[in-house]
Amino acid sequence: MQVEKIERRREAQYQNLLKLLDGHRRDASKTGTSLRSSQMRSIINSHRMAEAYKEGSKVAYVSEQFPTEICFAFGLIPWNIESMAIMLAQSLDVNRIFQMTQERHLSRDICSFLRGPFGMMLADCYPTPDVVLTNDQPCEGLAKLVFMSGRSYKVPALALHSPNIVDEDSVDYLVKQMEHMMSRLAEELQVERFAESLRSAVEHSNQARHYYRKTADLLASHKLPDVSRELQEVFGMNYFGTRENAQLCKVLYEEAQELVGGEEKKGKRVLWIGQVPEESHELLQHMNEVVDIVFWAPLWEANRLMLDEDTPLRSMAERAMLYHWNAERMSSDIAQICDEYEIEGFLIANVWGCRNMMGVSPMLRDLATAKNLKYLTINIDLVDRNNYAFNHVKNRLDAFLELMK
Amino acid sequence: MITAGIDVGSLSTKSALMDESYKVIAYDVGLTGGDNRTAAKATFDRVLAQAGLTPSDIAFIVTTGYGRENVPFADKHVSEITCHGMGMHLENPEVRTILEIGGQDSKAIRIDGEGHVETFAMNDKCAAGCGRFLEVTARAMGVELKDLGEISHCSQNTVRISSTCTVFAETEVVSLVAVGTPIPDIVKGVHNSIATRAVALLRSLGIRHRRESGETESGPMGMSGGVALNSGVVKSLEEMLETPIYIAENPQVRGAIGAAYIGQRMA
Repeated sequence: MQVEKIERRREAQYQNLLKLLDGHRRDASKTGTSLRSSQMRSIINSHRMAEAYKEGSKVAYVSEQFPTEICFAFGLIPWNIESMAIMLAQSLDVNRIFQMTQERHLSRDICSFLRGPFGMMLADCYPTPDVVLTNDQPCEGLAKLVFMSGRSYKVPALALHSPNIVDEDSVDYLVKQMEHMMSRLAEELQVERFAESLRSAVEHSNQARHYYRKTADLLASHKLPDVSRELQEVFGMNYFGTRENAQLCKVLYEEAQELVGGEEKKGKRVLWIGQVPEESHELLQHMNEVVDIVFWAPLWEANRLMLDEDTPLRSMAERAMLYHWNAERMSSDIAQICDEYEIEGFLIANVWGCRNMMGVSPMLRDLATAKNLKYLTINIDLVDRNNYAFNHVKNRLDAFLELMK
Repeated sequence: MITAGIDVGSLSTKSALMDESYKVIAYDVGLTGGDNRTAAKATFDRVLAQAGLTPSDIAFIVTTGYGRENVPFADKHVSEITCHGMGMHLENPEVRTILEIGGQDSKAIRIDGEGHVETFAMNDKCAAGCGRFLEVTARAMGVELKDLGEISHCSQNTVRISSTCTVFAETEVVSLVAVGTPIPDIVKGVHNSIATRAVALLRSLGIRHRRESGETESGPMGMSGGVALNSGVVKSLEEMLETPIYIAENPQVRGAIGAAYIGQRMA
């Protein structure tokens, strides 16, 4: 697509996004946390979003947990098409977006984290990408959506296939793919040299990860208010590779340290497993009155991995494979988290249409039973309100919270 | 000291009064209708009148059910899962697994030796297999809801009714009636359909049974909720689970009784 066309279109897309978000359901009195890092994160996100719509910006659509260090090595702004669906969840215009997907015969039984982004593309709210990049975990549906967007916007679509089993052969295999992807990116974006910028992105990624891990470690022995939530947000942003993110993680760690010794959250610890709603969601507000919620995703083994700065691609390959929803690995990982963080209950959030969650849910229930933990499975939809109402789950949530008291 | 429990359900609102010896001194059942706040007040007034008491005689009021938080004169709101657990334990401390089928949901509850809930499972999103399902199909067959149990005992053949959706099941029933299928066979099919869903719910809690002795590994099973009054559903469940099921006295009011019992322990 010609550069001029992309730029003109982006201005219109930005206006479309603003209109979509103009009417929103978020209750301002319940948003944000008391943490400075929360405000800092909002600023970074807002800046990134605004930049993505600007003339001259290079944008890459990415799927969840794509190694964004590669994006930053090429000066690309990663646009996580799935995470952005949470923005849609805030809009009062969400039904119009989903109707557009149904008019294109997309089944309502597909996860709204796929339908939402598809709808936002149909509504021309996302910035036109220069390239689309995907891997196949944790959700192959997302990879398909990314490919569709590549075709729709007529831009190169490059994919990584990551094996499920982590060994030397599979790491070699994935590294070769990454090298090939970077060669293609250099060609498409006419970038001659990227080794230095990749090195810089890896360094920043590690700086951020260093503080991220220390914050996670503090949480193991202290019930620090809002910190687990903030780690979840940092994980969701997947902005590892930038100086800003390294600074953000450092500020979060410093704040967490300040909170140690102060007033801690009351209540037993519940591990939230599955997709996470935005912070003002009534589910979280209701649960926070009784229990201390610890989010599983940011504590995931793959999220604690540092990159070897001599062989970063090998580390990125290993990390990518650890992101696969392998039930055996997940069970072991979660069991360890339960012990380290003194978890006393699970909240298993089954998002409507998510086959990954359907697949691992039995394992999670078995694990909870084996460890003598209380658990609750709720069926929710975080984006499409046609599939969810708080009243659907409040009764069983209240019963679970009574067990946790 | 008298305590009250009020269970504000989707179809019916129940109340119970209990004294300090944990004896139920009065209970009442009424339809919820469109206003659960009014329904709660009405059943409370009726149960007080039955016992010859006034509101000031009541030391503590616990509400439960979907509408529990809409009762302004309650002292405490407790989920019906907890209340049914306690209510069943009060009557039969041997029971360890409870099936409660109400108007629009069904619950499988595992309790410990003191009536505390260990784990539970509820049906999701759909009222197929609950009281509403029976109401709709009874209407489609032109029979009274209260007679379904007796009618099903006369069944000679099993008719299969899908258990996916109340509305679709109603259509199936109408078709079966139209071709002259004996009503008892259809009713038995409806009961089997409910039992199938309930058994799946129970199995998700790990209910096991030993075919040889008929006992469940998970301990004796009990049933409460309005559908427990239907002997046909109970029979279908016992056949599928191959175990006897203890039916609580006044099963429809068991949640309110449990709530009143919790009130006794809290007051």
